[in-house]
Amino acid sequence: VGAVLLIAAKDLRQRLRDRSAVVLGFVAPLAIAFLMSSAFGGAQDLHVDLGVVDEDGGPLAAALTEVLGSPGLDDLLGVSERDRADADEAVDDGDLDVALVIPEGFSAAVTAGQAAELEVVAGVDSPLSAAVVRSVAESFLTQVQATRVAVATAVGAGAPAGEIEALAERASSAPPQLPVEARDLGGRELDLISYYAPGMAIFFALFGIGFTARSWFTEQREGTLDRMAAAPIHPRAVLAGKALSVLVYGTASLGTAAVVTSLAFGAHWGPPAAVVALIVAVAVAVVALTALVISLSRTEQQAEGLSSVLTFAFALLGGSFVFLGMAPEALRRAALLTPNGWALRGFTDLATGAAASSVVTPVAAILAFSVVVAGLAALAARRRALP
Amino acid sequence: VIAPTIAMTSLRRTVRDRTSLFFLIVLPVLIIVLVGSSVQDEDRFAVGLLDQGDDRLATELVADLEAAPSVELRRFDDLDALRLAIRRSELAAGVLVPSGLEEDVRAGRTAAVGLLSQPASTSGLAAEQAVRAALAERSAVVSAAAFTAAEVGGEPADHLVSATRAAEVAEPLTVTTTVQGESRFLPLGFTYSSATMLVLFVFVNAVAGGGMVIQNRRLGLYERMLAGPVTTRGVIVGEATTYLLLALLQSALIVGVGAALFEVDWGDPVAATALILVWSAVGAAAGMLSGTLLRTVEQAGAIGPVVGIALGMLGGCMWLLEIVPPVMQTIGHLVPHGWAVDSWIDLLSRDGGLADIAPALGVLAGFALAFGGLAAHRLRAQLAA
Repeated sequence: VGAVLLIAAKDLRQRLRDRSAVVLGFVAPLAIAFLMSSAFGGAQDLHVDLGVVDEDGGPLAAALTEVLGSPGLDDLLGVSERDRADADEAVDDGDLDVALVIPEGFSAAVTAGQAAELEVVAGVDSPLSAAVVRSVAESFLTQVQATRVAVATAVGAGAPAGEIEALAERASSAPPQLPVEARDLGGRELDLISYYAPGMAIFFALFGIGFTARSWFTEQREGTLDRMAAAPIHPRAVLAGKALSVLVYGTASLGTAAVVTSLAFGAHWGPPAAVVALIVAVAVAVVALTALVISLSRTEQQAEGLSSVLTFAFALLGGSFVFLGMAPEALRRAALLTPNGWALRGFTDLATGAAASSVVTPVAAILAFSVVVAGLAALAARRRALP
Repeated sequence: VIAPTIAMTSLRRTVRDRTSLFFLIVLPVLIIVLVGSSVQDEDRFAVGLLDQGDDRLATELVADLEAAPSVELRRFDDLDALRLAIRRSELAAGVLVPSGLEEDVRAGRTAAVGLLSQPASTSGLAAEQAVRAALAERSAVVSAAAFTAAEVGGEPADHLVSATRAAEVAEPLTVTTTVQGESRFLPLGFTYSSATMLVLFVFVNAVAGGGMVIQNRRLGLYERMLAGPVTTRGVIVGEATTYLLLALLQSALIVGVGAALFEVDWGDPVAATALILVWSAVGAAAGMLSGTLLRTVEQAGAIGPVVGIALGMLGGCMWLLEIVPPVMQTIGHLVPHGWAVDSWIDLLSRDGGLADIAPALGVLAGFALAFGGLAAHRLRAQLAA
């Protein structure tokens, strides 16, 4: 055990002396997290500046304006009344996010049972604001239409046609049957920093494969491995020592990113125990992949090439650069062939409020991946008669 | 005369190296496939359904949802799984159809259909609206029947047929949307797109490829070249040509695969070609520069991606600069990426042409000249040493 620790400590010291390893393992993820947080630091809750253009002046326009100004929508909508030309200009300039036009004759058309439409004028870059206003307007029209259908049905069944206004009044105040009710989704929303912080940290931790694989061949060339083999140490202890150093380097790199981005940049990683489990699992996968690269390569250059191919292929497939939530199922499945894809899924679930126990499957999957990779590495090493 | 020979030799060496081939060909194709297939269909939303209904009304509601053109229904058996899928953004919204709907309606109790969605997301809101619209008619019919029963007597069920007919003949009430103004975003919104990934990865690869210069230096290739009838200038031009050709090849792949497989629109062909040419020159020059600034191949491999990604983030490749604070927008334009992304927005969102992006192209050419000049200067010094 003493030899294992000694070798691990030596490897780690070497790693820390290598500026590239320090840059990639510690500086890079933090620098990138800093960039992200300075980019999104000013992000605020959605607020829509809405201009209402009432060219109708009828009772329904008044009812709609009242809905838009209701206390429930206060935080979301800032409503001002405008005329058409003014509203168009303000939307163009970005002074207003959206304008809602109630055209002339709207109330009359609705009362007469004719078709009618409202117009949402949206700035090209305010799709979310437009969707919000559209949603409120459509809900209003749905209710109005329901009232029209109720009145028509009642009149058809013999209700006095002379009292249409009173009927409409009663119909619109009757509670709707079969309403669609929004339910609480639970959890929290996924913010960009909580996705990219682990995504980037894992991407850079994967570079550990290249460093260690390269240092293996350097030590082979310089005879360090031979001298260790000559010492009274079991070859397994040498391997264990090297594996331990990779494990520590990976864990430290990811752990630093987790702590610093949580404390300084407001990233939400989740319950510490679960985060630690995922981080260690990823570090184990890095160890296994390093062993595979070493066992498959004959030269430093091959090791270098193979590890950078693996790093970039995994990072892309696993979703470190492109958020895969909305991708087709085939791609989301492909992401689960990579250890970082599983880890990101685990971190995303934690960041959106899943319980700590949710990481059991990702951790198990990453460890299973590591076992398979380590097995392949052992097979390849035996064929090549490496230690 | 010597430069093309050097460029061809370097290219041949690159193409024979399997690692370089991966970065040259597999990586860009992988990127465009990922981005291309992750882009959502804006008029169609994945909506999860937890159907616990056990009567005709529930069946009709589900049929209404299935018939809605903008709703792509996926069935779930478990509320937690449905919630998780929404939180993972795999679904834009979820619908819960409860049991005993018809009985509740008959007894005059309000029976509600549940709706789950991501708060404050455009697709969530739009999907929610699509679901509400799909269910609105059935809800209006049931309400009308209940109202009529209360007004003129009888059971709600007695009035369902006439209410259905009233709903069918009712003239539509609609909301139209007019979009105006000039976009400051890419067509896909403010996340990522093929164009920004092109900007990002051509640069990352070029900078990481700086290792080539370092390796040549180490192997003594330059000394051997210079031993022949070759000028320093010839070597530098040859190296620069290699980098430029590699960057162009990669861009061509991304553009071609994107256009062929995912119908990615790259805007005005002349302007897009000019932009890609200039951007490749920026990348090539930056690659040369990294090759002369860094000492070891490992450094190029390690620092290249970090610098490339960091500059890409600053310049708006991972998210557009429109959403970041003013200071960060200014910083984004201190690096070439900001200008390249601006130009793509001009081309793709505003139907811009060569004239519109000419100023930005000028700035980018300035970056290319500055990087290239510095690289040539340093390489010359290194070759002389």
